[in-house]
Amino acid sequence: MIRLEHVTKRYSSDVLAVRDVSFDIGKGDFVFLVGPSGSGKSTLLRLINRQERPERGNVWVAGRNVNQLPESRVPHLRRSMGNVFQDYKLLLNKTVFENVAFALEVIGKPRQYVQRQVPAVLDLVGLAGKEDRFPHQLSGGEQQRVSIARAFVNRPLILLADEPTGNLDPSTGEGIMGLLDDINGTGTTVVMATHDHRVVNAMRRRVVQLDRGVVVRDQERGVYE
Amino acid sequence: MISRVAYAFRETWASFRRNLTLTVAAVLTSAIALLLVGATFLIQRGFSNLLVQWRGDVEMIVFVRADATPEQISFIDGSIRQASTVVDANRLEYVDKIGTYEEATRIFAGDPVTLSLLTPENVPSQFKVVPLTQDPALVRSLADQFRTLPGVEDVALAEDEFEVISTLSGFVRNVTLVMSMVLLVVAVGLIWNTIRTAMFARRREIEVMKLVGATNWFIRIPFMLEGLLQGLIGSLVACGGLWALNAAWTNGVAGFKPGTGISSLVVPSSYLTTTMLVLLATGALVGAVGSAIAASRFLDV
Repeated sequence: MIRLEHVTKRYSSDVLAVRDVSFDIGKGDFVFLVGPSGSGKSTLLRLINRQERPERGNVWVAGRNVNQLPESRVPHLRRSMGNVFQDYKLLLNKTVFENVAFALEVIGKPRQYVQRQVPAVLDLVGLAGKEDRFPHQLSGGEQQRVSIARAFVNRPLILLADEPTGNLDPSTGEGIMGLLDDINGTGTTVVMATHDHRVVNAMRRRVVQLDRGVVVRDQERGVYE
Repeated sequence: MISRVAYAFRETWASFRRNLTLTVAAVLTSAIALLLVGATFLIQRGFSNLLVQWRGDVEMIVFVRADATPEQISFIDGSIRQASTVVDANRLEYVDKIGTYEEATRIFAGDPVTLSLLTPENVPSQFKVVPLTQDPALVRSLADQFRTLPGVEDVALAEDEFEVISTLSGFVRNVTLVMSMVLLVVAVGLIWNTIRTAMFARRREIEVMKLVGATNWFIRIPFMLEGLLQGLIGSLVACGGLWALNAAWTNGVAGFKPGTGISSLVVPSSYLTTTMLVLLATGALVGAVGSAIAASRFLDV
């Protein structure tokens, strides 16, 4: 599903974000990218959804070479992946329903489709009955559930999560991990960058460890260390 | 498709209200710039009314009495052609009574009293003379000579009639054109800034839109519509101003004594309409250009 081939990315002449990174992620996999801040986890996610382009090497997503994709095809690439962030990135002037519906409306889905899909996905993430709340009326965990609903409502092939539990207390984080596990169970590939060793150790999934932009460990059913 | 169009208009309107102060500034600037452009057009048209009978290097007009016989006319024609060293005989033009009357309807458009006295029968016909020589004294002595011919009512010289007007018209045109160009550039800049601010205010939404795979055009179009609308509203205001200005001018001129020449500065309403359409198109263009530059440059927020 995702293949990185000798990927190198440099932000400025002396800041090397990732260096010669290669690994494969199969369809339906659940992968943790772990490592300290600045080790290149977020950069890898941004290379996969083409917010960044590598300096050298290739990034393949669903059989397409992402960095050779013309600018006009990038939106279609992004429709095949959902993004979840540490700070949720919800629109504060929109309700829960509107936040999730927004993701479908701006890619031109018809109204009836939106009206059907949004309640279904809100039910899935456990927010049924809270459609009309605004983000500031929700707890952190609930806000993250909204953002996951928004990422998943278009049924993407891939879910990219950047520190999704970073702002949450451990038990709330556990709930979010359960949700991501459920989503992974539907066949969606999940790639999650984190430095939260508790969730990594509890899940026992594949772990790719980065240190200063280099892969230092790639382990099935790994722990954080 | 319908949901997309509805989305674009909803967003345009919402953004319009959010940035009301900047929007008003942008609209007013483009209105003033366009009003100047329009006024330039009307002033030029007014001057060209005055100069219409002198179009095409004509330096001398020999007016022939309305009651002149065909023999007298052909004699005058012959006399003019005889002065072949001074007169360009190939470009000599005879305007009959009907042609002269048509010209007069333009010159006296704002002077209905004078115009009502004229008919295609009682106006003079005219020979329009293009001289070969650049020497005004030579042309003047020729004019004195023609004035004595039978059937000639009068001879008019361009030098006496319009040199001042022509110079004045050129000066006014240059000044107003430069001023309106500068203001138009300012209007583009203000619209650009308004759109940039609107995009900055909505950078979170734009970021989310890009991440969920909205196309750049989908993101841009509401902003471009907003700029277009600002330009259009500005030009509507300018059209209103121009209309009021022209009405006041036309009424004011009607108060002058007939035959002073000022009345020919009045512009026909068909020309006013054309000018307004030009203003609307220019306004839309200014808005589209300003917002297009902003929308293509500030999408990466």
